[in-house]
Amino acid sequence: MGMKWYVVRRVAWALVATWIAVSLTFGLLVASPTPGADAAAAQAAAQGLDPEQARDRYLSQRGLDRPITEQYVEYMTDVLTLEWGYSVSQEETVIEALSEGWVNSAQYFIPAVLISVLLGWSIGLYSALNQYTLTDYLGSLVAYFGISIPNFWFAIVLILIVGVWFRDASLLGVSLAPLSLRTFYDASYPVFSVANAKQLILPVVVLSTASLAGQMRYSRAQALEYARAPFVKTARAKGASSWRVLTRHVLRVALVPLSTILIVDVLAVLFAGSFIIEAIFQIPGLGRLALEAILVKDTPLVLAVTLIPVFIAIVGNLLQDLAYVVLDPRIDYGDR
Amino acid sequence: MAAEDATSRDTGAHAFEEIDWDRIDARGGRSVDGWAITEAAILVGLLAGFVYDYSAGTPTELIGLDPTAVEWLFSIVLVLGTFHVAVPLAENPRLTARYWRTFRKNRVAVGSLGFLLSILALGVVGPMIWVPPNETIDFATAYRPPVFAGGSWAHALGTDAQGRHLWHLIVYGMRVSMEVGLVSTAIAISIGTVVGATAAHVGGYVDEGLMRYVDLQQTFPVFVLLLFLVYLFGPSLLFIVVLYGFFGWEGIGRLVRSETLQRTEAVYVRAAEAAGAGRWWIVRRHLIPNVSGTVITAATLAIPTFILGEAALAFLGFSDPAVFSWGRTIAAGRSDLASAPWISTIPGVFLFLTVLAFNFVGDALRDAMDPR
Repeated sequence: MGMKWYVVRRVAWALVATWIAVSLTFGLLVASPTPGADAAAAQAAAQGLDPEQARDRYLSQRGLDRPITEQYVEYMTDVLTLEWGYSVSQEETVIEALSEGWVNSAQYFIPAVLISVLLGWSIGLYSALNQYTLTDYLGSLVAYFGISIPNFWFAIVLILIVGVWFRDASLLGVSLAPLSLRTFYDASYPVFSVANAKQLILPVVVLSTASLAGQMRYSRAQALEYARAPFVKTARAKGASSWRVLTRHVLRVALVPLSTILIVDVLAVLFAGSFIIEAIFQIPGLGRLALEAILVKDTPLVLAVTLIPVFIAIVGNLLQDLAYVVLDPRIDYGDR
Repeated sequence: MAAEDATSRDTGAHAFEEIDWDRIDARGGRSVDGWAITEAAILVGLLAGFVYDYSAGTPTELIGLDPTAVEWLFSIVLVLGTFHVAVPLAENPRLTARYWRTFRKNRVAVGSLGFLLSILALGVVGPMIWVPPNETIDFATAYRPPVFAGGSWAHALGTDAQGRHLWHLIVYGMRVSMEVGLVSTAIAISIGTVVGATAAHVGGYVDEGLMRYVDLQQTFPVFVLLLFLVYLFGPSLLFIVVLYGFFGWEGIGRLVRSETLQRTEAVYVRAAEAAGAGRWWIVRRHLIPNVSGTVITAATLAIPTFILGEAALAFLGFSDPAVFSWGRTIAAGRSDLASAPWISTIPGVFLFLTVLAFNFVGDALRDAMDPR
């Protein structure tokens, strides 16, 4: 009873959260001065036409002069039925623009998530079991570096070193030119090719650094809580190897709290990062689509790229909470 | 609290009959009210100046300065910080000494604190010493390298594409970063503390509602939301600062709630209840002061995320062109990366070190104040 009831309530809450998020964007759109209408008015004024008339025409064409309730109902149905409108800047429907863009984002996003989680947890757990050794201090240093370095500046420094200096530099008589990587994305390479993998190295490194450091710190702190726990001591006393203690005893309990920060933290850090990565490396993914849409005031596209991360975050949170219930038998889901 | 300790120690030496309660009351009363009155007077003065500055419709010049809205907020936050962090620390030397002894063990954190204080001082005073970057525009001296790369002392950190001195851009950027970090955090602390304390103390449906909202806000990718809001309402530093404050408090709110709940059972709260103290008196006089250490630590660790966020927005071009954010300077230098790498790299070093220093200080504060 208890668990099923919890799952039902949690799913219901995710739906409510989605409804609130979509309504919020609607409220903001209504409350804000419509950028598209301003652009239309400015364009008309530049051509010597009446700006007020152009503004009214813009508003009535899009049905923005109707009563709020009517607009709200239509807006909600459109969002839920994926009728996301036509993007002026991309000259195609929003759904088409998104379906072309997401591959380019996913091909660096997914490796970055995997690297930051797997590498972050491995280093974090390792330094927890070897606390106060040189490796541990080195790990902490890397973690501080990772959470503190501004990713856009890190990208620029890497471009400077790898893209500019390596081209002419030589170390001990060996030219470093082969190490020089493409610093701007070339969309013509097939997704699964060496050239494509090579040009994605820098974006993946830059994007994963911050979340890698976050995962490292958190997993170290979590593992430290269990490193001196009685059951770990017992396992050691029974002669279990370090590896077995790590994977069978520490990791098993630490996984539960670790998985909770996974979604919220990783997604938050990576979403913000992907805008910057795509702007710097000129990757034609969702982030760049968003930036272009904002620059040319293409409201339907801006809405879509705002709502997608929100949806992903809500679904991610839902999955994470459900996983928590399955993973940790101690969770009391009775009163929530 | 240490003041109370000191009082009880002083009086402990006397016999009970000898205590002159009027004298003690007068002394205690005067010292508390004195600071509070000074603080209130300065704040009223600042508010009056702020209202005067903006009531005329067009911003007016005040004694040769023309503060922006963010600068007014920044001065208010600096005053609040002085009276609620620096003054209590100076008044409780024993407590301060205890914190300092723990904090001092972490040499890196002490160095970071010094670095941050000098950045803050330069950010506050610097723009009065060095002219605004745009007044140093001189195309004849464009792309001068910094001193350590073969430049001259006239342009110690080099110049950018328009011949603006990089040092001036960096000093003005210090003020922007400090404004963002401190004002946003002050807003976040205020909201987070009020919401957290209310949720913990009222409980029931209020608690449930507030915490559900915190969940929702935590789910939202703030950066995406900010981009959307900046798209709708246009970029301005005030807007970014206020938005980070209003959408960045959920961590502090959660922390205050859980700490308050833990401390509700503490002996001193029971004692206050037994003495007939009201609920809100307990929250205001006993619970909030006791969670303030945790809040300050969390706030110190929140500051760098706000600074980084503003710099990232400015880097992407969503900032007021009149504001010399480090992110903006770094973005401007991108096109000259091969020929003039110092334009992008030097402001980035300052940004990196500032964020790093806040993280070091925050972690050391946590160790000092929360020995668990």
